[in-house]
Amino acid sequence: MNALILSAVLGVIMMFSGILLKQKSAVRGVAITGLAALLLVNILELRGIHFFKIDVAGMMYFDRFALLFISIALFATLVYFILSAKDMEKVGADYAEYFALIFFIICGIILVASFKSLLILFLGIEIISIPLYILTGADKRNLKGNEGSLKYFLMGAFSTGLMLMGIALIYGAAGTFDVEKMKFAIETPAVLPVTGMLLLLFSMSFKVSAAPFHFWTPDVYDGAPTVFTSFMATVVKAAVFIGFIRLFDETFGTFQVKWQMWLAVIAAVTLFIGNITAVFQQSVKRMLAYSSIAQAGFMLLAVYAMNTSAKEGILLYAAAYSLATIGIFSVLNKLNDYTFEGFNGLAKQQPVVAGALTIFLLSLAGIPLTAGFLAKFFMLKSVIDTGTGLWLVIFAVLMAAVSVYYYFRVIQAMYFKEGKADITVTGRFKWALVTIAALIIILGTFPNILINWLYF
Amino acid sequence: MNNVLHLAYLVPLFPLLGFLINGLGRKSMSKSLIGIVGSGAILASFIVSVWIFMQVKGGNTFTAEYFNFISADKLTIPFAFKIDQLSSLFLLIITGVGFLIHVYSTSYMHEEKREHFGRYFAYLNLFVFSMLLLVMGGNYVIMFIGWEGVGLCSYLLIGFWFKKPEYNKAANKAFIMNRIGDLAFLIAVFWLIWKTGSVSYDTILPAVKEGTSGLNNTDILVITLLLFVGATGKSAQIPLYTWLPDAMAGPTPVSALIHAATMVTAGIYMIVRSNVLYSLSPVTLNVIAIVGLATALLAATIALKQNDIKKVLAYSTVSQLGYMFLALGTGSYIAAVFHVMTHAFFKALLFLGSGSVIHAMGGEQDIRKMGGLAKYMKITNITFLIGCLAIAGIPGLSGFFSKDEILAGAFMKSPILYGIGLFTALLTAFYMFRLYATTFKGSFRGTHEQEHHLHESPAAITFPLIVLAILSIVGGYVGVPEFIMHGAHSLNDFLAPVIVSVDHGAAHAAGHLSHSEEWMLTGISTALIVIVVVFAWTRFSKKPDTAEPTGFGKILANKWYVDEFYDAAVVRPLNKLGDFLDNMLEKPVIDGLVNGVGKLVNYSSRQLRLLQSGQVGSYVLLMVISMLLIFALQFFLRK
Amino acid sequence: MIHLLQINPSTAEAGSYLPVAIQLIFAVGLVSVLMVATHLLGPKRKTSDKLQNFASGIESHGDARQPMAIKYFLTAILFVLFDVEVIFFYPYAVNFKELGWSGFWAVLMFVGFFLCGFTYIIKKGALKWED
Repeated sequence: MNALILSAVLGVIMMFSGILLKQKSAVRGVAITGLAALLLVNILELRGIHFFKIDVAGMMYFDRFALLFISIALFATLVYFILSAKDMEKVGADYAEYFALIFFIICGIILVASFKSLLILFLGIEIISIPLYILTGADKRNLKGNEGSLKYFLMGAFSTGLMLMGIALIYGAAGTFDVEKMKFAIETPAVLPVTGMLLLLFSMSFKVSAAPFHFWTPDVYDGAPTVFTSFMATVVKAAVFIGFIRLFDETFGTFQVKWQMWLAVIAAVTLFIGNITAVFQQSVKRMLAYSSIAQAGFMLLAVYAMNTSAKEGILLYAAAYSLATIGIFSVLNKLNDYTFEGFNGLAKQQPVVAGALTIFLLSLAGIPLTAGFLAKFFMLKSVIDTGTGLWLVIFAVLMAAVSVYYYFRVIQAMYFKEGKADITVTGRFKWALVTIAALIIILGTFPNILINWLYF
Repeated sequence: MNNVLHLAYLVPLFPLLGFLINGLGRKSMSKSLIGIVGSGAILASFIVSVWIFMQVKGGNTFTAEYFNFISADKLTIPFAFKIDQLSSLFLLIITGVGFLIHVYSTSYMHEEKREHFGRYFAYLNLFVFSMLLLVMGGNYVIMFIGWEGVGLCSYLLIGFWFKKPEYNKAANKAFIMNRIGDLAFLIAVFWLIWKTGSVSYDTILPAVKEGTSGLNNTDILVITLLLFVGATGKSAQIPLYTWLPDAMAGPTPVSALIHAATMVTAGIYMIVRSNVLYSLSPVTLNVIAIVGLATALLAATIALKQNDIKKVLAYSTVSQLGYMFLALGTGSYIAAVFHVMTHAFFKALLFLGSGSVIHAMGGEQDIRKMGGLAKYMKITNITFLIGCLAIAGIPGLSGFFSKDEILAGAFMKSPILYGIGLFTALLTAFYMFRLYATTFKGSFRGTHEQEHHLHESPAAITFPLIVLAILSIVGGYVGVPEFIMHGAHSLNDFLAPVIVSVDHGAAHAAGHLSHSEEWMLTGISTALIVIVVVFAWTRFSKKPDTAEPTGFGKILANKWYVDEFYDAAVVRPLNKLGDFLDNMLEKPVIDGLVNGVGKLVNYSSRQLRLLQSGQVGSYVLLMVISMLLIFALQFFLRK
Repeated sequence: MIHLLQINPSTAEAGSYLPVAIQLIFAVGLVSVLMVATHLLGPKRKTSDKLQNFASGIESHGDARQPMAIKYFLTAILFVLFDVEVIFFYPYAVNFKELGWSGFWAVLMFVGFFLCGFTYIIKKGALKWED
């Protein structure tokens, strides 16, 4: 609750900071300070210090899981601000508004992570989506951006319609929006809730860019300004996953048999399409878009398994994936050439940057000792724990092997190809990158540092 | 938390800090600073070790758990240190001898470049750190970390002069042979986890004693055998002993610390630590006794004809380790620990003495080119002599007590073991005094230039020699046998809590020896040893053994051709197999398969890419079709 | 499709929607049949008057998709936005007494955010008509 209210207020503050503050660096300072404060109050709440006592009529529920995820998301955003906030200046004139929109998105993320009522879920998803449509088209002169924004909006509206229809059907069946009060029969669920559940499954799959509802992803991620792609592919996607997992755990947990099969299929198709299509991409940015689809396929395994290690694992996955991807995008922002050739010879020019980038890529590929490996391991373990779906595990491992190919292409370009990938980075940027890389290794060695927060 | 022994983490912390400081600052720190940091770290942990030892002696034992190292499902492995009589004793040996050797190294390695000097001390500190982990670990996993750590450091230090290819080869050999043993160790640990769900000594060992561990006899047999295979790798026993003589490629202090005093005794520590398990498996004990004795004998015979001063000592080490395993195999665990301790003193002394000799000889290691050094190097001569007397088992010196205890234990088990053991002891006395007499007595046989160069080593070298010589003399009095003085075997009383005597074990089947029998055995062995010593001394100081060996001597000089046998029996067939698989399987089948998969992925990628047409209409159409498909399947076909 | 016909309509299964499906098919069928039939049977006379757009009797002129100043849209959308938000006051007015002070603070907050937005658009110059 602390963070929810503060993030809304901070959004407004950012709007005005654009008018009141002339210096862009001052705006940036306000945003970073605000976000740090947000993270602080959220951690305080995690430790049991509440600033607000508001009766939400059981529509929201801030448990440890939600709060921990919000902390992870806020931390990732903070890292994102520190690494990439300066690059937002290149996008357009409305510098402060970008921050304001991001704060509003955070507000939506907090709602999605803590909903107890389908209405709040819907609100949260929409509060996330609408600023994203705007951010996608933030660079007004870029035709690709405009096209992406429009596509995103059209298809997003379509999926919102599906979601509303699903919620309506479920309301019809259960007579309530409150996920705790819905008690669906286990054996023979009626048509109405099953239809509603499927519609919600489709719309949530759309939001996390799971195949076959992923089509918007490459176009939007590619078209959007790279700084914003970075945010929407990481923090936002992870947040929607948390919503996904809560929705299907709490609302539809009772008739898991009805959807588990579909999730397995969707996860498998997502893994396949994401990984295989990424192989042939020429642009690193587009490759990362497909890679984000592939990673979503892995995270879907948690929704499929829906047990303790799935929930622990998805938090680790969210942290590992977000940090690594934000790091890669922050470097991509500084390059002029987004193709693989653009990375040629980076290791010679910027050994520190290339080293950190290598760790990020290894983490995404799931190489041991990195957080990405343990995250993937948790996902696979959670599926094995269910006792079903061994084929899915094997398939996921195969696809993870395919992913090594395209991630290593970047490493290969950096270290083994001649070229002049010249970027200028500040010392602070390097330090930040190295810190994240270290964090990824630490999480990859002692995941309990993160997961223990769930329990004490 | 309330137990003061929680502070035990300080012991490995200091060497770790030393490693970090020396490792990172090796290019910017002066040599004396590096030496002070390196030795100071060990001194600090020695002081803490003494304090811990006092605590333990006062009856305070403790298992300090610091954090959960691994936690997976039901298995939790804490990062824990177990401080008890056994580990505190080993702590003293490791840090005490380690400190002396560090001091020695500051002088011995002084001619190295600053960078390499720093590297040397960093490795040495890292070694001590790993060794401490091995000994202090509260479960088999922590022990394994230390176990691997010391293996790594041993590799790094054997190959310290990495510019010489044969040294690198020796390092590789040590590492690979150790890995074979480590694999067995690891399997044993997995077996334990599988069967008992734990790796902590505090959980497993009492449960085994009570018979509630869930391990049946077969499990215990397999686990003990596998652990023993692990021990043969680290402690250089048949069949994995050949790396140790080659490991002499490393700097001499390294040989003293790692390949004589500490690392190679890790296997003995491990078996003593698991003595509960071993006591329940008489078969394994017999295997250990036989392997130990065979190693002791084999190595002793080889040592007879070696001419490299360090090689003699190396084979002597292998032989003495075999002795310790004989003790383990006969169930005299305390005797084994006792011998580890005394051996650490006198063998470190001998190695350091040989280092002093090599130093004075300008790098020459061949004893045929030495002789008469007693005149030039008084301190080295006397201390080396003390070491030789101790290892030979002359009464009054430390080696006598521990060796005697082992032989008594062997006699209780079977007189044959005793007979071979005694024979080996005689061989030991013989080759040690051959070494001593050839090196220090007679006349100098080296070049004139070398003779001119001969000098006593500086204080940093002689000081550790003197200290170790004193320890080699008095070290045995902690274990004066019962028959000489009642109640004087303080080591026995001290270690008794960690040794579990299991009554139905074969070790105690023969009962105890009477005092008169023991007097007799001791008398016989002492008399024989003295005769051999005198014979060897007189013979080799007059006429050194410089001729090329022939006949049986040649076989011994060539180490029974074991290396050649391994090469023909293991290495070359493996190479052949590798070639065969490379040509017949790798290239056509596996490569084809792998490349095929790659091509398939590439092809699919190209086709799948076309789905992404860029048209919102077609995207929505595809989405709707998929949704309809799912609806249809959900409601009409999945019945 | 066989079991579709065997479904007992009383259970809450997809099959119970069979009447709906039949009605749907019937409705679509009727419309399409009628459209096709009129198309085929009816007489066709094309004159220019008949083809023209019908705009409440007023003669249409020009293209409907003419570019016009963005300011119209902006003003119109902002008007709609603020206008619609005022609707929230109606339920509050009805429940004014029951909601008490907590309701008052909530609405005050709402109005506060509201004012922030309004100030923002004025400061941003969104309502400035002349450049």
